[in-house]
Amino acid sequence: MNNELCDGLVDYLNGTLSIEETREFEEHLKTCEDCREIVDATGQLPYLSDQEEPPAGMKSRILANVFEEEEEPVPVVSAVEPGKTDIEMGRAPANPELTVTPVTDRKRKRVWWTPLIAAALLVSLLGNAYTFMQLQNEQPAPAEPQTAFQSIDLQPSEGFGGGATAAVIEQADGALNLVVTAEQLAALEGEQIYQVWLIEGDNPIPAGAFTANANGEGAALFNIENNTEEWDTIAITLEPQPGNESPQGQVVLSAGL
Amino acid sequence: MEKSSDTLLYTRIREKDKDALEDLYDRYEKILFSFLYKMTQDRELAEEALQEVFIKIWRGVGDYDDSKGKFSSWLFRMAQNSAIDLIRKRKKPTVGLEEIAEMPSAERSVEGTAEWQEEKEHIQAAVSQLSAEQQEMIQLFYFKGHTHEKIAELSGLPLGTVKSRIRLALGKLKKTLHGMQGKGAYDE
Repeated sequence: MNNELCDGLVDYLNGTLSIEETREFEEHLKTCEDCREIVDATGQLPYLSDQEEPPAGMKSRILANVFEEEEEPVPVVSAVEPGKTDIEMGRAPANPELTVTPVTDRKRKRVWWTPLIAAALLVSLLGNAYTFMQLQNEQPAPAEPQTAFQSIDLQPSEGFGGGATAAVIEQADGALNLVVTAEQLAALEGEQIYQVWLIEGDNPIPAGAFTANANGEGAALFNIENNTEEWDTIAITLEPQPGNESPQGQVVLSAGL
Repeated sequence: MEKSSDTLLYTRIREKDKDALEDLYDRYEKILFSFLYKMTQDRELAEEALQEVFIKIWRGVGDYDDSKGKFSSWLFRMAQNSAIDLIRKRKKPTVGLEEIAEMPSAERSVEGTAEWQEEKEHIQAAVSQLSAEQQEMIQLFYFKGHTHEKIAELSGLPLGTVKSRIRLALGKLKKTLHGMQGKGAYDE
């Protein structure tokens, strides 16, 4: 032991020195060969470990987290109107083959998901819903949902290639949210928008709207103020512009409730 | 794990070269994970500690240069500190002296890379030169991440005694390693 600074060696190796003390000791290391050699000698100790197989996928997890820390991507989400989550504006000419289908033509084919798929969807839907809520900043963040008592596949009208699913999620406070996610959507043109409707008899009310992103995906969240028991149909129309109070465009997706 | 190429990789990492970080990761993943598992006895905790290490390296926390000794020693110490932090945060129940695993014996056969095996035999030979008490000090201090205060508490020895015994144990380890190097058994 050359001098009193050497006393810091054990604390240095033990990671109990303050930042300032660490810097001081590292300065000392530059001139004290004895301490430096001991530090290097301890650097051999990890080789005493028994070989342990790293967990599957650890490398990609760690590297993703390391580089993510650096970049901190900001999600591109903008709300155009209440009930609309616009994941990405990726617009291209509309599908010219889209056929006109009257609102009353309900192609209802109810599909009930297996609980597992429904549970997986619920988690992903909640992610969307939560992002949306935060963006809107109008409503309290949703608590853990109690029930997703309905998850339905919407059936495409003839000539429409997309698909959508709708779920009603009950929050802990009893509030109901309708979450619609759609995929393989035809691209939109101009002000066109996909509008969700909840229909009771002949009376449709707007229930969220969305556009298609570059991948043909879209999602909408709508806070249901009245009980869902009264709705008999959910439909999505392709509207010429946002904000319509009643459907003007054709139904592209629908399901009976 | 050549020193020069490690330092070269590190220089590239400081220039934000992602490939260099990945190369460094590949080079040290297994030894670091094994070491961190030995310390934490928990695979998830070991992964968390390993991630901490690479986040720190990428952010340039605790800058490395030659004056801090060998690069691998510096890297292992950073890993050790990450594990210690996590262990202390978890506040696991105190492990009694009698429950502490013994240092691995030289007879135990371990499969693995030739390089690791070579390093292992080398350090095992050096550790075997230490007294049982000194081996235990290293086990408690280095692998269990106990502070000397904790070791004093566990062993009932005065604080100063513990500290000087750790220092002596490490000093002897260093001398033994050096002696072996002098005989040509160890090439740095």
